[in-house]
Amino acid sequence: MPERARTFDPYGLLQTLDRHRVTYIVIGGFARVIQGTEEITRGLDIVPSTRAENLRRLDAALRDLGARRPDGREPTLDENTISTERVLELQTEYGELKIVPEPAGTRGYDDLRRAASREPLGRGVRPSVASIGDLARMVSALGDEERIPQLMQLRRLVELERVRERVIQR
Amino acid sequence: MARWRTLPRMGRGADLIREARLRAGLTQAELSERSGTQRSVIARWEQGTVSPTFDNMLQVIEACGFELPLMLVPRDSSLDQQLDKNRQLSPERRAQQLLAKLDREPAARA
Repeated sequence: MPERARTFDPYGLLQTLDRHRVTYIVIGGFARVIQGTEEITRGLDIVPSTRAENLRRLDAALRDLGARRPDGREPTLDENTISTERVLELQTEYGELKIVPEPAGTRGYDDLRRAASREPLGRGVRPSVASIGDLARMVSALGDEERIPQLMQLRRLVELERVRERVIQR
Repeated sequence: MARWRTLPRMGRGADLIREARLRAGLTQAELSERSGTQRSVIARWEQGTVSPTFDNMLQVIEACGFELPLMLVPRDSSLDQQLDKNRQLSPERRAQQLLAKLDREPAARA
């Protein structure tokens, strides 16, 4: 793995996925930060569409990214991998990338895409990011007490958004 | 699966009902059948046009196969200001803020 593999560069990851026209939704810590939470994250988690053509595109993007499994093996992405592995953890030249076909508490891409929104992040990237409500659903489904602060932040953001909407309506 | 010992501060009942239903993989019609509540009522709760009573909320969540372990905890408002600030930033600024934080912690980007 090259030296720069140790850096987290979400723009590099997202630009590569977009260049290969991969269809995906950003979830996890990076998505929460984009939605407004206060936390540190060092990787990108995505839920890809599991349609065969999209998996082929994702596979090509992963090769471009120099993706490797934790044991150094090159990943092979196909319908079998997607259906058998809950989370595909990869190291890439732009940092950690997790591919999560069916995050906890959801039914995957088609479930999340309805409420997801395109968020302009600059440098030409505008990924689809899971909604605050769906991010809360995933955190809640993990049932992990250490994640309570994340869940509370998401709930608080929903409240703040509602207050803002009420003010606008008046 | 670990269970919550404390209850995270709830959003409106609408969020929790929708979250419970989606996690259970149920449609509104299926939840209606399970809980004995009209589908249109569930839809109005989820849309937030009508608020469920607390008892109704618990009943519907139970029909989804979940429980709400209830416990009073002091409200932690320490993050409110920061969250409000973040909310006023554009998504691009939020991403840049994260990267700036990682840059300030050399080990963090590694």
